[in-house]
Amino acid sequence: MHATDEALGLDAPTVGDPLLRFSSRTTSLAGIEAELAKVWAATSLTTTGDTGEAERRVSARTSVLNLVVIARQPEIGARAAAVIRMLAGRHPSRTLIVSSADPDGPSWLDAHIQAICMLPRPDAAETCAEFIDLVAGGEAGRHVAAIVAPLLVHDLPVTLWWPGDPPLGTRQAVDMLAMADRLVVDGSHWSGDGLDRLQVLARLVGEHGAGIGELAVSDFAMIRQSRWREAIASSFDRPELRPFLSGITAITVRYAAHRGAGPWGTNLIKPLYHVGWLASRLGLVVAAPLRPVVPDGASESGDDLGLRMTGRLRASRRSVAVAVLPMASPMPPGTTLTVELSAERRGASLEVVVSAEADAVMVHATVDGRSMPVRRFMAPRRTEVELLAETIESVGRDPVAVAALLAAAELVRPT
Amino acid sequence: MARTGGPATTPPRTIREERIERIGRRRRSVRHDVNPLREGLRLERVPDPHVMVLFGATGDLSHRKVFPALAQLWRTNLLPQDWQLVAVGRRPHDDATFRAEITASLEQYSRVRLESDVAAQFLGRISYHQGDFGDDEAFDRLAVRLDAMDAELGTQGDRLFYLATQSSAFPQIVAQLGRTGLDHELHGGGWRRIVIEKPFGRDLDSARKLNREVGRVFRESQVYRIDHYLGKETVRNLMVFRFGNGIFEPLWNRRYVDHVQITMAESLGVEERGSFYEETGATRDVVQNHLLQLLTLVAMEPPATFDADALRDEKVKVLRAIPEFGAADVAANVVRGQYGPGWVEAKPVQGYRAETAVDAQSETETFMATRLQIDDWRWSGVPFYLRAGKRLPKRATEIAIQFKGVPHRLFRDSAVDPQPNLLAIRIQPDEGILLRFGSKVPGLGLDIRTVTMDFTYGSAFSVDSPDAYETLLLDAMLGDASLFTRADEVEAAWAIATPIVDSWVNGPAPDFPNYVAGTWGPNAADTLIERDGRHWRRI
Repeated sequence: MHATDEALGLDAPTVGDPLLRFSSRTTSLAGIEAELAKVWAATSLTTTGDTGEAERRVSARTSVLNLVVIARQPEIGARAAAVIRMLAGRHPSRTLIVSSADPDGPSWLDAHIQAICMLPRPDAAETCAEFIDLVAGGEAGRHVAAIVAPLLVHDLPVTLWWPGDPPLGTRQAVDMLAMADRLVVDGSHWSGDGLDRLQVLARLVGEHGAGIGELAVSDFAMIRQSRWREAIASSFDRPELRPFLSGITAITVRYAAHRGAGPWGTNLIKPLYHVGWLASRLGLVVAAPLRPVVPDGASESGDDLGLRMTGRLRASRRSVAVAVLPMASPMPPGTTLTVELSAERRGASLEVVVSAEADAVMVHATVDGRSMPVRRFMAPRRTEVELLAETIESVGRDPVAVAALLAAAELVRPT
Repeated sequence: MARTGGPATTPPRTIREERIERIGRRRRSVRHDVNPLREGLRLERVPDPHVMVLFGATGDLSHRKVFPALAQLWRTNLLPQDWQLVAVGRRPHDDATFRAEITASLEQYSRVRLESDVAAQFLGRISYHQGDFGDDEAFDRLAVRLDAMDAELGTQGDRLFYLATQSSAFPQIVAQLGRTGLDHELHGGGWRRIVIEKPFGRDLDSARKLNREVGRVFRESQVYRIDHYLGKETVRNLMVFRFGNGIFEPLWNRRYVDHVQITMAESLGVEERGSFYEETGATRDVVQNHLLQLLTLVAMEPPATFDADALRDEKVKVLRAIPEFGAADVAANVVRGQYGPGWVEAKPVQGYRAETAVDAQSETETFMATRLQIDDWRWSGVPFYLRAGKRLPKRATEIAIQFKGVPHRLFRDSAVDPQPNLLAIRIQPDEGILLRFGSKVPGLGLDIRTVTMDFTYGSAFSVDSPDAYETLLLDAMLGDASLFTRADEVEAAWAIATPIVDSWVNGPAPDFPNYVAGTWGPNAADTLIERDGRHWRRI
C-alpha cells in the first residue's frame, strides 16, 4: 500500500465556494479506507478562528447518499467530477468516480481521495463531502462492482450516474445495478439514434420495477422536457378546451437534424419521449409502431436529413396519427423543435403548436381557425449540475416518467 | 295498481340492477374536470381563469408583497392565461400611470427580476379602478366593469377579492360587495372568494364584530384570512416534520417533553410604522397571530386528513385548551417590555419613545413574554414559553422542544452532566432543524459533551423557496384554505390575547423603558422562566 498526503493550507472559506480541505493518493482498496478514516481527523480541517487559535469547523460528516459515477473514459470522469464538485455543499455525498484504463495490462488501482468543503453561512460549520476518483487498470477494470461495493457508506441510498453510453445489458451493468437505488442516464447523449438502448432501459425498468428495492431511473433527457410538458398541458387548462384531449387526431414532433448525418446518426430520444409522455397520459396504445418512411424518389434517410418516422396510436376506436420528422436546424441534432397536436370535438377543431424559441417555449393554439393568445414559458437550458441536483432531490420512482419511457420504447419496439 | 297481462317485473336485487333501474345503462362520460397532462407536473391543477380585485392597490403592502408575488406567479406560469387584475384605490391614476408605479415597485421588491417581455405581459393584465370605499357609484361601476370582463375573457364570474387596505376599511368594502351582489356565487360555477389581511380585529369583541359583518355577506368557505406566517416554507415543513416522520410523534407529549419555547426576535425597531405600532404593540402585532399559530402547529393532534377544515379543527382545539387569563394570571405569567436606547448590530439606536410618531410617554409594549398551559391529554403540565420583541440582539424565529433529562444519572464520573435533548426548529433565518444530544469525548475518561446535528434547509435543497405570499395567493386562487385562518380560530386566539391586553389597560402604568435595545428583553422575562427552574435558550 502506498499513500501520499497533501498538506493543504488553512484557507479561510468563502460562503458558497467549494474548497479542497484534504487530498491524498493511494493504490489499494485498504489504502482508500485508511485515507477516508483520516479525512475526518485531519488537522487540515482545522482553520484559524476569530481569536487566532485553531478552530475545528467541521462538525460532522455530511453524507446524504453514495453517488457512483461509472466513466468509461477518464475525460468523462473528469467532466462528471466537475459537475459533482459544484454540488458538494448542496448535496454532500460520498462520491466515487470509477474509470477503467489499460484493459490488457496488469491489474492496478490509482485512487485520489479528497474532502471538498463548503461554508453554508458565515457562522456555521463547513459541510464536507468525500470524493474518491479511482482509475482501475487491467483485469480490475472489468470488475468495477467489486471495487465499488466495499467503498459505499452503508444505509445510504446509492445513485449510479452512468454518463455516455452505458453498457446496460452487460454483466458489469447487472452487478452495478444490483447495488443501486437509482440509475441516472442521459438518453440524448447516447450514440446513433439511441433506440436500441431505449429498449434495454425500458426492459430494465420493467425488470426492476416491482416492490421494495425497485430501481428508479432518471433520464436527463426527460427531465429537461418538464417545461415543454407544462407548456403542452397548459393548452388544455381552460375547461372548455379540455374535452379536446379525448379528440386528439394527430401528434407530430419535429426535431433538429443536420444534413449529412445519415439516417441513423441523429439521436431520437427527446422527440420520442414527447410522444411517449402524451401517449401514456392520454391512455393511448400503440396500433402501428413508428417506422421509417421513405418518400417517393428519396433515400431511406429522407433526403439525408434524418429519419422520418410515422406510426399510429389508438384509444378505443379513435386513431391518432403520429409523426416524428427531421427539420434542418442549427440546433444540436435531436433537439425538439416543435410538438404539434391536432384535435377535433363535435365539429370544432383545435391546433396546438408548441415551439422552442431561445430560452423559452411558446404555445400557439388555434380553435376553429381563431388564434388564442400566445403563451410563453421560460425554459432556459438546464446545466448538468441543475439536472443532477434535481435528480438527487427526487425520491422514489416517478410513475409519470416511467410510463412515458415505457410508452416511448413500445412505440419503436422492433417486430 | 299493478298492471295485469304484461311480463312480470322482478324487483332489482343486485347493486348493478339497482343502478340500472335508477340511472339506466348510460356509460359515465369521460371526466373533463381534470387535465391528465398535468399529472406529475409542478401543479396538478391550475387556478381557473378569474379576475382578481385588489383593494388598497396603491398601498405599501400591495407594492411590497402582493404585486411582486403575483408577478412571480405570472413569470413561472402558475397563473391562468386569462387572469386579470383590477386594482382599486383612492388615488387618481389611469392604467398607464398605475402600471408605471407597479413597474418601479417590481424593480425594487421582486424576488427574481422579471424579463422585460414577461413584465410587459403581466402589467398588461392590470387595470386601475379609482374610487372611495364609501362611494356607491364606484362599486356600481366596478360591478359593471367586472361583468364586462367576464363576457370578454370568459372568466365565468370567477373572482378573487383581496383586501389589502387598513383594517378599518374592511367592513365598508365587504358591505359594498354585498350591496352590489359581487359576493354571489353563480349556479354551476362562478366562485367568489375574499382574502382579508391581518390584523383581523384588535380584540375579541372587534374580531367577533368583523366576523359577523363579513359573515353577513360571505359564507365562511368564501373567506380566506391571511396570516402570512403560515405560508412560510419552514412553517409548512413543520407539519411534514411532525406527521411525515414516525420517530418524533411518539415523543411529542408530556411524558417526554419538559417544555416548549417559541421565540420571535427582531433586531429592527418600529422603523416608519410608529403610529401603527402605537395602536398595536407586540401582543397584537405578532403574538396573537404568528406565535399562537406556531404554537398550534407544534401542539395540535394529527388531523385525520390534510383538508382545510380537518387541519383547522385541530388548531382550534389547541387554542381552546389554553385557559383564559384573569388579571392575577396575567401578572404571574406575562411580562411586557419596551426598549430604551442601546446598541444593535454594532450601531447605536434610539429608544422606542424617541421613534417617529411615537408618544414620548408611550405605554405600548415592544416585548412580550408569556407562559401558557395547554390543558389537554397530550400537554397537561408542559409549559409553553412564548416571547417576541423588537430591538433584540438578532433576528431569529425558532421553536425549541426541550425534552426531559434522563431519569437516572448513570455517568456519575463525567465532569458534566449530559444536557437533556433538544430539538430546535429554526423558522428564520437559516431555516433548519437542530437536534442536540450528548456524546462521549474521545479519550480514556468518560466525559460527555453536548453535540448537535444541524440540518440546514438551504444546504439540502437547491430549489428556491417561494415567498409566503406566492404560496398563499396561489392557494386562495385554487380554493385551498388550509393555510388560512378560520373565524373561530381567530376568535379563539383573541380570547387568549384580549385578557392580557385588557389587564394592562386596567392596571397601573408600566415602568417603561425596561430593557436596553440589543438585549434579550427585560429581566422579568428571565425571572418568568427561571422561577420554573428553566432558562431561555440562547439563540
